[in-house]
Amino acid sequence: MALKIVVLIKQVPDAEEIFIDPVKFTLNRSQARGIINPADENAIEAALKIKDETGAEITVLTMGPPAAETALIECMGRGVDKGILITDRVFAAADTWATSLTLAAAFNIMDDFDIIFAGESTTDSGTGHVGPGVAEFLGIDQVTYSVNTKVEGKNVIVERSLEDGIEVVNVPMPVLITTLIGSNMPRRSTLRMKIDALKKGITVMDHEKLKLPPEWVGIKGSPTVVGSLKIPDEKKREGKKYEVEEIPKLVDDLIEKGAIKIGDA
Amino acid sequence: MKIEDRLSLLNYKTDKSFAHITVDQNICETCPDHFCTYACPAKCYTLIEDKLNFKYEDCVECGTCVVACSHGSVSWNNVKGAHGVKYKYG
Amino acid sequence: MSEFDVIVVGAGPAGSSAAIRLASKKMNVLLVEKSDPPGTKNVSGGVLWGHELDGVIPDWEKTAPVERYVKAKTVGFLTEESSINIDFRSRKFDENRSGYTVLRVKLDQWLAKKAVESGAMLVNGVTVDRLAMKDGKVVGVEQDGDTITADTVILSEGANPRVAIQSGIREPLKDHDVAIGVKEVIKLPEEKINERFNLRGKEGFAGEYVLGFLKGGVEAGGFLYTNKESLSLGAVISMKHLRANGNTRSFDIIEEFNSHPSIAPLIEGGKIDEYSAHMVQEGGYSSIPKLFGDGYMITGDAAGFSFSNGLVLQGMNYAIQSGITAADTFIDLKEKGNFSNSAMSLYQEKLQKTFVMQDMTNFKGIENVTWGNLTHQHLPGILENVMLEIFMENGMPKRHMYKILMDAMKKQNVSSSRMISESFKMIRRL
Repeated sequence: MALKIVVLIKQVPDAEEIFIDPVKFTLNRSQARGIINPADENAIEAALKIKDETGAEITVLTMGPPAAETALIECMGRGVDKGILITDRVFAAADTWATSLTLAAAFNIMDDFDIIFAGESTTDSGTGHVGPGVAEFLGIDQVTYSVNTKVEGKNVIVERSLEDGIEVVNVPMPVLITTLIGSNMPRRSTLRMKIDALKKGITVMDHEKLKLPPEWVGIKGSPTVVGSLKIPDEKKREGKKYEVEEIPKLVDDLIEKGAIKIGDA
Repeated sequence: MKIEDRLSLLNYKTDKSFAHITVDQNICETCPDHFCTYACPAKCYTLIEDKLNFKYEDCVECGTCVVACSHGSVSWNNVKGAHGVKYKYG
Repeated sequence: MSEFDVIVVGAGPAGSSAAIRLASKKMNVLLVEKSDPPGTKNVSGGVLWGHELDGVIPDWEKTAPVERYVKAKTVGFLTEESSINIDFRSRKFDENRSGYTVLRVKLDQWLAKKAVESGAMLVNGVTVDRLAMKDGKVVGVEQDGDTITADTVILSEGANPRVAIQSGIREPLKDHDVAIGVKEVIKLPEEKINERFNLRGKEGFAGEYVLGFLKGGVEAGGFLYTNKESLSLGAVISMKHLRANGNTRSFDIIEEFNSHPSIAPLIEGGKIDEYSAHMVQEGGYSSIPKLFGDGYMITGDAAGFSFSNGLVLQGMNYAIQSGITAADTFIDLKEKGNFSNSAMSLYQEKLQKTFVMQDMTNFKGIENVTWGNLTHQHLPGILENVMLEIFMENGMPKRHMYKILMDAMKKQNVSSSRMISESFKMIRRL
């Protein structure tokens, strides 16, 4: 039996095309086009590498507006077998809790799986909640900050990139793994596979299909409240210059101002 | 506006695994004109201490350089798969 | 049996128009485009002239993402200190709209969507490597080691036709064939644009200029068009003359143009929001390659179809028409199932009956007039001197126009016999 892998992705506005409104100081996303969340690109590639080695079958799952179909077709053009789009007006404005719950509910009507990959966090909200949230709702193990994965028998060997080094974890399947941005080099889609993807099409799941209570999804099912938004005060540069011989004094000054700390590393 | 500032307005999806333009430094070394440094509208070609320096990351894919170089140093390929410059107006 | 009837390479105005026409006639079409979304690598000045889109999208004037319609047109000669303009503004343009300012990213994306709605399969974000050949015939396209087959490939890949060149069906471009186009889009509030250019509502302005102030034999034309809430400003620089000069950088010319005393006030307070560059097909008839062969046709910029006579600068209308003509050619040939070189010559025949080849043929050699030192170096200076003498009161007795002109020509080292012969050539070619 081939391994079954599901990759969770999100279409996000291209951060390169978001700019700050010079008058209102708000983020202007109106000119930003949808792209696959960068860390999700690495999740897809991690799954495809396992497919290269073991012949796994990959499904990519996303929740979003109908336009997110292009992201699924792109994934299928790279070698993903199947694309599922969860889309419904009632799912709109979901926070990370409701999103995780809705994604997890899709697994009730999908085949069994061995590995779920997700990007570590998105560029448009950056909470890193959704991958772990899905794992919790499904009641499976999770491994975060992955930079490399290898399947060995019924286990996955995951390399996690932590601040102080690489931790290697050996975890049994089923498991959810979140991949760090830049952890691999995503491959390009091919014309042949994109043609096949367009012919095959994607599967759409709506509210009716997922059968979740309406108060669990979308904005109604989202407990997150934004308390306040604080823009830190701009620190004025002092513009002091130090000669090379004065470096010890520079260090002392920085410690005094609390800019750096000497620890016991 | 300086050319560097102009280029900083652009959104590029740089392909780190494939340079769509390559130059033959052996040819550039003996080049008498370095017309590429005048023709390229994205300042991808510069002379640093008389040596040609080329970077494909700023390229806007106009194709000027391959016509401009009359010495056959420039080989030009289309970028692959949605990489490269991504205009918002065009 | 091929997988597709036609593969169209490139989703610009030529490719999408071809795909729309083919798909609406129930042909099985694959439209491949390297940019994602379509249009995001494309640049035009850009004014879309003419009504060729009528042939594929009858209601395009109401639905296409156009910016403004051209109500006012200017042709100007700029010297270092002065500008001499011919302004044309007509109420006739209100009823018979002929030119629309457009931004290609929006327009091309819309056209590609129309192709999909018509039934074409659009794959974007993938770059075709080369044409697939078998026994000297084009049988499809190659990408990443795969061959996708089609009865015919329509190449609509634009001004830098790498697929055609790399497949050996087109010569590499030379100095004579192209100019370097550099452009900036300047954000400016709608009211400011209307005020400065004397426009109302959807009225637009299109200006083209001879940049006679450039030094050292550099020849370039400038353009300034009004979009809804932005201006498109740019320069089209002759590759040949830039090379001969050897000391001017292409990207500096746009700075010289936008800081010219008669242009700077028009863009003042605006913010440059995008810089772009693209090659412009400028070689005219002599740059047109062989347009067809066994299993393929070439359209649009890739075929060298563009027109510039100093008064208008056009490309998109030729692209659209040639795309439609290529599609119609295929539809005719499909009945007999013969896509050989000799059958494909129908494309050339059909094109001869359209304005595309008629313009290219009738205006053979026009590039030598539009690009020539009389137009770019001497004429602006002569006109400036004539105007200065006529309009600057300096207490001297007035002279006859003829004398003024002769002196102005002398200052520019242009003999009257040369002026007459060049003017004759110009009139003949225009």
